[in-house]
Amino acid sequence: MPKAAFSSGTRRESSWLLSSRWLLCLGLASLALMASAEQPFTGSEEVELGKRIYMEGILPSGEPLIGKRLNAVDVEGASAACETCHRRSGMGSLEGNIVVTPIAGRFLFATEDNRPLALVDPRAAKNLTRAHAPYTEASLGKSLREGVNINGSPLSPLMPKYALSDVEIKAVTAYLRQLSAELSPGVGADTLHFATIVTPGVDPKQSEVMVKMIRSAFAQRNASQQTYSGRMRSPLDLIPRTLRNWELTVWELQGAPDTWGAQLVEKYSKEPVFAVISGLSTTTWAPVDAFCQQEKLPCLFPSVALPPAQTDFYSLYYSRGVALEADVLARHLRDQGKKAPHRLVQIYRDDEVGRGAANALTNALQGSDVKVENRVLHGQEPAGLKEALKGLSSKDAVMLWLRPADLSAVNKAAQKQPPAVVYLSGFLAEDNYDFVSKSWKSHVKVVYPYELGDKRQKNVATMNEWLKTWQLPLVNEAFQAEVFFNVLFLTDLSSQMLDNFYRDYMVERAEDMLGTGSNVSAYPHLSLAREQRFASKGAYIAHFAPDGKLVADSGWIVP
Amino acid sequence: MYYFNKTKQLMSRWATLPLVIFCVVFCSSYPLRAVALNDSGQKTAAPDVIRTVVNYEVPDVGMVRQDGKKLVFGKELDDGRPVILNFVFVSCSAICPMLSHVFSKVETKLGKEGKKAHLISVSIDPESDTPAILTEYAKKFAAGSEWDFYTGTREASIAIQKAFNVYRGDKMNHTSVIFMRAAAGKPWLRLEGFISPDAVIGEYDNIMKQNNAD
Repeated sequence: MPKAAFSSGTRRESSWLLSSRWLLCLGLASLALMASAEQPFTGSEEVELGKRIYMEGILPSGEPLIGKRLNAVDVEGASAACETCHRRSGMGSLEGNIVVTPIAGRFLFATEDNRPLALVDPRAAKNLTRAHAPYTEASLGKSLREGVNINGSPLSPLMPKYALSDVEIKAVTAYLRQLSAELSPGVGADTLHFATIVTPGVDPKQSEVMVKMIRSAFAQRNASQQTYSGRMRSPLDLIPRTLRNWELTVWELQGAPDTWGAQLVEKYSKEPVFAVISGLSTTTWAPVDAFCQQEKLPCLFPSVALPPAQTDFYSLYYSRGVALEADVLARHLRDQGKKAPHRLVQIYRDDEVGRGAANALTNALQGSDVKVENRVLHGQEPAGLKEALKGLSSKDAVMLWLRPADLSAVNKAAQKQPPAVVYLSGFLAEDNYDFVSKSWKSHVKVVYPYELGDKRQKNVATMNEWLKTWQLPLVNEAFQAEVFFNVLFLTDLSSQMLDNFYRDYMVERAEDMLGTGSNVSAYPHLSLAREQRFASKGAYIAHFAPDGKLVADSGWIVP
Repeated sequence: MYYFNKTKQLMSRWATLPLVIFCVVFCSSYPLRAVALNDSGQKTAAPDVIRTVVNYEVPDVGMVRQDGKKLVFGKELDDGRPVILNFVFVSCSAICPMLSHVFSKVETKLGKEGKKAHLISVSIDPESDTPAILTEYAKKFAAGSEWDFYTGTREASIAIQKAFNVYRGDKMNHTSVIFMRAAAGKPWLRLEGFISPDAVIGEYDNIMKQNNAD
């Protein structure tokens, strides 16, 4: 047959290639190949695959996602993941003069209701929202592959080009369509729900003033929103959005910490909240941290002496608490070199905070020339402290991880010859130094995590005025400044979010904006970033000046 | 076979010539069109990069290097090597990774071409970016011996940022900038914008040539 097919001249030649039997085989073979090559995934599988690409930079094949920038610089895997710049919420960000645009489904694709979407950032010169023609899966694929937007103009040099297959584009599209598609729980039609958390065993004066402060701030904010005199108060008012009243629920926990998780789940299921603001604990906070992570609930800056050492996305803390103080003290002692004490005796209560602090200091001083000795304080009377302070020499230093109730016994328990140096914990002592007698004053130093002097007065002046206006007591300045900053920052944050009440977005804005907020707290400087969760990172070593005021020995120590 | 013969019959000698000419022209223009389609594989700084030459006064503040060594920053820039410098922070997710990737490629290329330079990255989030964290960051970008990272107190970092006129109040307000200087006493070249590694090397070659000519 082949010979006959290639003979020239005759019009009756028919190519073997075109014979119907061969065509049939070819057709069936290609169908089989097509079927096996691109297996369709279910809807939810697609979203999961898209999520892996978006969050981790891993393709369905398991290979890393690769992006190319400036035609010269490759990024791969986690560095290439969309989340890196467009963030978990898909709402984008603003860095310097670079606007990373929102790519959540509602901003990218056509929406059913075609409601106008607005997005602002006070650091941007103009309103961030740019109306554009809605993308489709095809045009999104083109953008990602060719680095052009819906109008064909080039995207920012920061945006990589990705050589994605059709299946991969499909997965990314599926993920983006559902990303931040629904407002978070706790967002009602005209109400925004918040909670604060009070654990057992805290000073009722403190928990009371915390709740009163938050309620007063909410009332103030709700009222100012209602009195819409028509006069523009800020450019933000021009942007249409829903006005919502803020409501606070107090979640009071009872009993042992290992029951708190279940209590929180129950309270949350009765009334879901958008976020948790502040909170108070003198023992552990770990069960609450776990609950926040589990429910994907932002928990903003509770007042706690010892947050979990590692935390994940949803909980934000002012500092690492007594663990930070331990690290600062260790750094201070190591820097003293030969002048450091031979032995450091640390005295603490056998509870979560005491043990946590002692462990942190022991670990931090490992390998140094300072020998650490742990002494647990038992009982309530001065006798307990007297016992703990026995046998100290002038070559020893003491660290008292104690609260005012225990510290008040120091005078009665004190030996006539104080140890060379006695360190106190700024967090635990609560600025209560009355117990320090004249003979002890020159020997006492405080590991002090807050600002001192004029700067401190300036920072907290706003709060002090506000407390007077609302006739609220000053129970503890540093603690109340934590609550005050929290509410003020929350108000700013939320007003900038307009109608985009997505929890992830709130946390991301907190990451980006914390450092730019007006610092009305007692801390010298608060700052967060993506993957940072502890806002203040150091402390002073301070001593008492002749007038009784605390003065820093030297600079702010960041361990 | 049939169709080939048919075609040959249809085309006269006169028809073939224009066809041949068209093919030659089309094929030879392919490289040009390819470049236009493939976007900027820039060999020098693209037109949207702002170039200025400034005499900055670098303060002698104390800083700490990623290996823990405490030093005076101004002196680090004066060891005889040309300097290429940027400002980053480890938690930065948009601009800094790009800047660091570019530095990484630049370091490799300079090494391959036998060119000397001290690459310097200063942290603008020094309280978070401890020497340990910076060492990890350096590993992530395969930093070699020519590339150092500096941290210290907030005040020291801000002083250096102000000296180079990059301080914008908060780390999230920073922009993409690269500085370079051929030798101590020479002015700094400031490059604002996004620059490819090749363009950085191109600029380096220029300032070194100028420096040798002086």
